[in-house]
Amino acid sequence: MTSVEEKNTFFRDLQDNEELMTEILGGSVDLVKRRITFHEHKNVQALCYYTDGLADVTHIEQFISDLLYKGNLLLQHATLPTDNPLTLLKEHMLSSASFQVIKEVGQAVDGILSGVAVLILDGSNDVFLIQTKGWEKRGVDEPQTEQVVRGPRDGFTESIRTNTALVRRRIRDPKLRIEQMTVGKRSKTDVNIAYIGDIVKEGLVEEVKKRINDINIDAILESGYIEELIEDAPRSPFTTVQSTERPDKVASSLLEGRVAIFVDNTPFVLVVPSFFWQFLQASDDYYSRWMTGSFFRAIRYLAFVLSLTLTSIYVMLVSFHQEMIPTQLILTIASGREVVPFPVLLEALLMETAFELMREAGLRMPKPVGQAVSIVGSLVIGQAAVQAGIVSPFMVIIVALTGIASFAIPNYAASFSIRLIRFPLLIAAGMLGLLGFSAMFALLAIHALTLRSFGESYLAPATPFQPKDQKDSIIRFPWWKMQARPMGVTGDEKRVGDNQFPEPPNTDPYSDEAGNRDEDNQKGRDQSKRKKSRHIIKLKGDDEE
Amino acid sequence: MKRQASWSLLLIMILLVTGCAGKRELNELALVMAVGIDKGEGENAFKVTAQIARPADARGQTGAPSGQTGEPIYTIVGQGESLFDAIRDLSSISSRNVFWAHNQVIVISEELAKEGISQVIDFFTRNPELRMRTWIVITPEEASTLVSTVTGLELIPGEAVNKLFRYGKISTVAPNTQILDVQAAYLSQSSQPIMARVTLKEVMISNKKPEKGPTIKQVDLAGAGVFKEDRLVGILKPEETRVLMLFTEGLQSGVVTTACKDKPERTIGVELRDQMFEVTPHLKDGQISFTAQLDAYAMVVEAGCPFTIDDQKQVAELEKAIEKELKKEIDTTVDKLQKEYKTDVIELGKVFQNEYPGYWNQISDNWAEVFPTVDIKAFVNVEITDSVLLWEETNSGKKENSAD
Repeated sequence: MTSVEEKNTFFRDLQDNEELMTEILGGSVDLVKRRITFHEHKNVQALCYYTDGLADVTHIEQFISDLLYKGNLLLQHATLPTDNPLTLLKEHMLSSASFQVIKEVGQAVDGILSGVAVLILDGSNDVFLIQTKGWEKRGVDEPQTEQVVRGPRDGFTESIRTNTALVRRRIRDPKLRIEQMTVGKRSKTDVNIAYIGDIVKEGLVEEVKKRINDINIDAILESGYIEELIEDAPRSPFTTVQSTERPDKVASSLLEGRVAIFVDNTPFVLVVPSFFWQFLQASDDYYSRWMTGSFFRAIRYLAFVLSLTLTSIYVMLVSFHQEMIPTQLILTIASGREVVPFPVLLEALLMETAFELMREAGLRMPKPVGQAVSIVGSLVIGQAAVQAGIVSPFMVIIVALTGIASFAIPNYAASFSIRLIRFPLLIAAGMLGLLGFSAMFALLAIHALTLRSFGESYLAPATPFQPKDQKDSIIRFPWWKMQARPMGVTGDEKRVGDNQFPEPPNTDPYSDEAGNRDEDNQKGRDQSKRKKSRHIIKLKGDDEE
Repeated sequence: MKRQASWSLLLIMILLVTGCAGKRELNELALVMAVGIDKGEGENAFKVTAQIARPADARGQTGAPSGQTGEPIYTIVGQGESLFDAIRDLSSISSRNVFWAHNQVIVISEELAKEGISQVIDFFTRNPELRMRTWIVITPEEASTLVSTVTGLELIPGEAVNKLFRYGKISTVAPNTQILDVQAAYLSQSSQPIMARVTLKEVMISNKKPEKGPTIKQVDLAGAGVFKEDRLVGILKPEETRVLMLFTEGLQSGVVTTACKDKPERTIGVELRDQMFEVTPHLKDGQISFTAQLDAYAMVVEAGCPFTIDDQKQVAELEKAIEKELKKEIDTTVDKLQKEYKTDVIELGKVFQNEYPGYWNQISDNWAEVFPTVDIKAFVNVEITDSVLLWEETNSGKKENSAD
C-alpha cells in the first residue's frame, strides 16, 4: 500500500471510511466486513473489519453481541452518561481484554492483516483495534533438529508469542526484556529481541537493534533472512549467528548475557554473539552429570576433528606419504586399492559426493521413501561399488566415519559449515600432500581467527585465551565450580553462590559434645543437629569473606 | 569484488599449477619388504635382490577380486657397478616404482661382508627413503636365496624376519642389530660393529610328506658376525652370542643347563631373571684391566633329578655349578674376541672412555692393539630364589611308599 494512505487519518463520516477501506483492502475474500447498527434510539452505524482465519471468530462474536444486546440494555439506564459514545464503549460496553483507540489508517490496516478486528463508528475518526488474534497453529512439539536424551522436550513453534512465552516461563525475571520490532516492507514480520537487562553487555542490544533496523527487504520468511542480513562474516563458511529450536538453549544464552532474536513464523531463534565452540556443545552436557557431560563433549570434539580432517589425512597419506603408514596397514590398504582405477583424491571426492547425494536425497524424499533411498544408497555404495572395484573398502570406511562424525555435531548449521571447509582441505591435501594440507589448514585457522561475532572473537575462549572461561570449554565443570558468568558480562557476574558443594551434614555423634546426645527425644536431637549444621555453613561463609 | 574474484582464482590456480607434484599413488608402488646384497659378477659389482610385496596376495581379499596368484612376494634381482646402479637396474624390471620406506631387513652375504661394507653403510644411511631402524643381518648363504625364501607364519617373509627380531627376546642366539647401530659402531672411535647372522636351515616339515622329516628351509637365527671396521672377521656361535649380548644390550632372560650332581646323565635347567651386569674399568700404572660382574636371580624351571628349594645345601651346590658354567661361557667368548678376532665388539673401549677420558685420548689411536692385551676378569653371582610352582621333589609316589 502507498505511504500516503498510511499517514492519513480516518474520516468522521462512515461512508467515507468505508470507501477508503474498500479502496485499500480491495476484494480479498479473506478480509471480512461486517456492518452493525446498535443503540436503538440513535441507530449508531458501525463497521467491523477483520481477516478470516487470523482473527478468532468467537472473540468477534463476543464483542458484537456486547454492542448489540448489552449496549442497548445499558443505554436504557439513564444514570449513565450518554453524551459520548466513545467513552461509553470504552468503559462500559466492550468486554475484550485489550483494545486500542487510533486514528491512522495505516495502523488499522496493519492491524487487520495481523488478526486484529477494527471497529469504525459512524461520526467519529477514532477507531477501535480490538485484540482478537487467534489462528490455527502447531502445538509445542519436540525440536526436530536438536534432540536430547535428558532435558526438556518442548521446542519453539511458528508463533512468536508462544516462543517468547516458552522462554519467559524459564526466566521469571522482570529484567528479561522483550522488545518488539517489525521487519519487511510487505511481510511486516514481527521480530522480538530478548535480553536480560542487567546482564547483557553494554551496547550489544543497541547494535542488534541498529542492524535489524537497517534491514530493508520486502519480506522475512524465516530467521535465516535476518541471520544473513546481520551477520559479521557474510563471505565466510563459518556461521557467526547461532540458531536454535530449543527454548532452554535460548534461556541459558540469555543468562550468559547474550541477545536472542525471535522471528515470527519460524521455530528457529537466533542468538548473538555466538562462538565457534558453542556449536560443539549440546544442552545434554549441562543436564547430565558433569563427568558424563564432559565425556560426551570430548567425543564431540573428536567428531569435529574427524569430520574435518579424516578424509584429507587419508588421501594425503596414501598418495604422498606412504612411509608414514605402518607396514601392516599399508599392505591392507594397498590390497584394497589394487584394482581401483582412480587416484585416491578422485576416489575420495567420488565417495564424498555420493554420500552428500544420499544424505540430500534421504532428506528431501517423503519419509517412507527416504528410508528406501538410504537402504539402496548404502547397499550400492557400500557393497556394490567395492565389489565392482570402483572404490576401495578403506575409502568407504573413511567416508562413512567422516559422515557419522559430522552428524555428531549438535548444530545443523555448524555441521554444514564444517562439511564445506572439508572440501578445500581435501583438494589441497590431495594435490600437495602434507604441505597442501597444512597450508590450507593454516589459511582456514587464520580466517577463523579474524572472525568476530557482534564484537566478540569467534574462537573465544580458546583464542584469545580466557582462563576464567575455560571452566566451560573442554571440560564442563560441575555447577558448584562454575560460579562466574562467561565473556565479561557487566553486572551480576556471579551465577552460583559460594559453598554450593553438596555435603551431608556432620552426623558423627562422637564429634559432638556428649551431653547433647538425647537418646529418648529423637525429635530434639534432630533439631539440635540441624541447628549445628547450619552453624557450620555459616562459619564457612564467614571464612570465605 | 573484482579483486576478490581474482584472488580466489589465483588461489585455485596455485593448487592446479602444482599438478600434484610428488604424488605417488599407492598402487603405483612396489613395496620392498626385504633386500639382499651379494657380490655381483665382476670387480666391485653388486647384486641387489628385492623382495616386493604383492598386496593382493599378501592380504586376503579385501576389495574387489584382483587376480590373485597365491604368491605373496615378487622377488627380482638387479645388477650394477654400484648399489645405486643395481637398484636403478631394478626399476627396469619392476612395473611399479620401487619404494624402500617399508623395507624390513637388509641381508648381506658373508662373501661381501668380508670385503667390506662401508659402501653399504654409506648408501643405506644417505638415502632418505630408507629407514635407520631396519634390521641388518649377514648370511653365509647367497643373500638372494635367503631373501626369496618363504619363511615364517607371516605371509611376507620380510615381516617374518622382522618379527623374529622384534619379538625374539627369549631367544638369545642373535643380537638385534639395526643399521643405526652398525653405523654408530662403525663411526665410533672405540667400538666395532656386529651384525646378526641368519642361515637357512631345513627345519620345517612338509604337511604333505611328513614322513620325510624336516625338508623345507626356513630362516634361522644363527649367532653374530664380528666386524673389524667394515670387514667381517669372525663368527660367534649362537651360544656365544649370549655373552656378546650381555655386554652390548643386556639379556632379558637366559637358560642355563647343568648336569645333575648325582646323575650326570640327567640335567637341571634354571632360568636367569633380573640380571645386573656391570663392567668396571681399572687403570693402574698404565695397565688397563676390566672386571665384569654378573649378578642374577634364577629360578629352577626343570629338574631331571629330585630337587627341592628347601634344601639349602642342594641349592648352594646348584648355584655354584651355574656360576661356574656362566663364568666359563663369558671367559671363552671374551677370550675368543680378544685373542682370535682381536676386535672390540663388546664396547670395552666405550666403557673405558667414559671412565678415563684423559687417558683414552692417549691410547685411542692404538686401542685395536691394546684391546687383545687387557686383562678381563669375570665374576658371577647367582642366587636361586624360586622353583616356580613345585616346591617338593618330583619323585615317583610308588617308590616313596615302598621305601617306608
